[in-house]
Amino acid sequence: MPQKLSWSDRIGAGVFYHLPAIVSFILFFAAWEILVQWRDIPPIYLPAPSAILVTLWKMAADGSLFYHLGITLFRIFAGFIVAAVVGVGLGIWMGMSPMVARVLDPWIATLYPLPKISLIPLLIIWLGTGELYKISLSAFSAFLPILISSYSGIRQVDPDLLKTAADLGASRHQIQAKVVIPASVPAIVAGLQLGMGIAIILVVAAEMIGGSGQTGIGYLLISAGQVLETEKVFACLLVLAAAGAVITKGQDYISRKIAPWGFAT
Amino acid sequence: MDVIVREVAKVWNAGGRDQVAALAPVSHRFASGSFSCLLGPSGCGKSTLIRLVGGLESLSGGTIEIRDPVSCALQPVGKHSVMMWQGLNLFPWRTVIDNVAFGPEMEGVSRNERYAKAREVLAVTGLQAFAEHYPRQLSGGMRQRVALARALIMGRPILLMDEPFAALDAQTKIVMQIELLRIFEAARKTVLFVTHAIDEAILLGDEIVVMSARPGRIKEVIPVNLPRPRSLDVVKTPEFGRLFDHAFHLIREEVTRAMEQQMAESA
Repeated sequence: MPQKLSWSDRIGAGVFYHLPAIVSFILFFAAWEILVQWRDIPPIYLPAPSAILVTLWKMAADGSLFYHLGITLFRIFAGFIVAAVVGVGLGIWMGMSPMVARVLDPWIATLYPLPKISLIPLLIIWLGTGELYKISLSAFSAFLPILISSYSGIRQVDPDLLKTAADLGASRHQIQAKVVIPASVPAIVAGLQLGMGIAIILVVAAEMIGGSGQTGIGYLLISAGQVLETEKVFACLLVLAAAGAVITKGQDYISRKIAPWGFAT
Repeated sequence: MDVIVREVAKVWNAGGRDQVAALAPVSHRFASGSFSCLLGPSGCGKSTLIRLVGGLESLSGGTIEIRDPVSCALQPVGKHSVMMWQGLNLFPWRTVIDNVAFGPEMEGVSRNERYAKAREVLAVTGLQAFAEHYPRQLSGGMRQRVALARALIMGRPILLMDEPFAALDAQTKIVMQIELLRIFEAARKTVLFVTHAIDEAILLGDEIVVMSARPGRIKEVIPVNLPRPRSLDVVKTPEFGRLFDHAFHLIREEVTRAMEQQMAESA
């Protein structure tokens, strides 16, 4: 039995483990700050980290940061949830029914390699530049990897597990519900993580397209860039990176809770 | 249950028109309540034979009869047997108790009832304290016990075991063999036990069915008349040594032949 560690011990151990990474972050930003101050680099090209932090603080103080970030996060999650429901559902259906797989396989093979950004003009013609366009773009892009992972997860279930279940008296229906679906949960969860990454990329890309509304971190980023507010550009990048890291780590944590057997450690 | 195997054969499709005869026509009667060990080199069709008896593969020829020894009534293949697999095939997303209770769950037994039953079987296999653990949290020997408990809970009269202890370290293996002897002697089942360890076959079996290299056929059936209940002490008896010598000489030829076959195939 492994001994339960107290919270303070675990946090201490965590800090110790991440210490090299933390030190590298500090050194990197310190070197950046010193370089900018010493060579007197114009902030239009490369603002100092201290200046970026001040900008970030101002954006937070006037509320614009949280407003735009909230809108972007809403679009990401809306697109992701649509993609997850449709993708997992269709993937399981394909995995269970060879006929459905035969119909959908060529469609997936054709649509998967298509760069999803190339759909932007068509989606704007059809849906305008509002919320529906941004959410559809991210949902459609995230949907394919989720579908493919779910489908292959179902198909790659160890056939010996199916024989074992049948030997223990499970009917065909019971085997699907009690063995095939739980056995493919790790693959489905991996597909959802992939899909989330893509949803983030496509929402920000959609927000950056000219004339597609005045909201979201992507809009903030592109409009700051156009007027050479480089501090604001860096501030937006920092926010995007941090939000992405939080979402991915959170999803990883949830995945490990749902399907602990699907992870090596 | 008696298991009567008549002229049973199995042919595998090896891609295209190639066919591999895994099992030449084989006939044998596995008597009700007796422990039979199938001994032979790798690829001699031992596992194939017990899978056929369990109704887990289709026959290419011959018949398998499962008969009630008292009424002589013919029984359906697969309904009265349960397999303990070489790879164990535990369900990794289920706790120990949910793995063990899988069979009753499929039969629609209520949660309380099947858990009570599973706890009884877990007590027999010494796993009460680990009911809530997941298979990955257990050692190799403990996983074996879970797989055995999951088979035993079915209460089926025929137990098929496909090299269940092959992956264990030597000490754990001995412990598991002694456990299996105890369980078998407490409730006699018809056991078909595949192994390629001669000492294991003698220690456990009432008879040793020695099989030849591919295509598998029965070379000789050696009766093991060591008294039960048995303990590890039988290893020291002269009868054990005599049986070992006899089986070893039969097996040696077959293993050599099997190795030559494999080398010819890979060349």
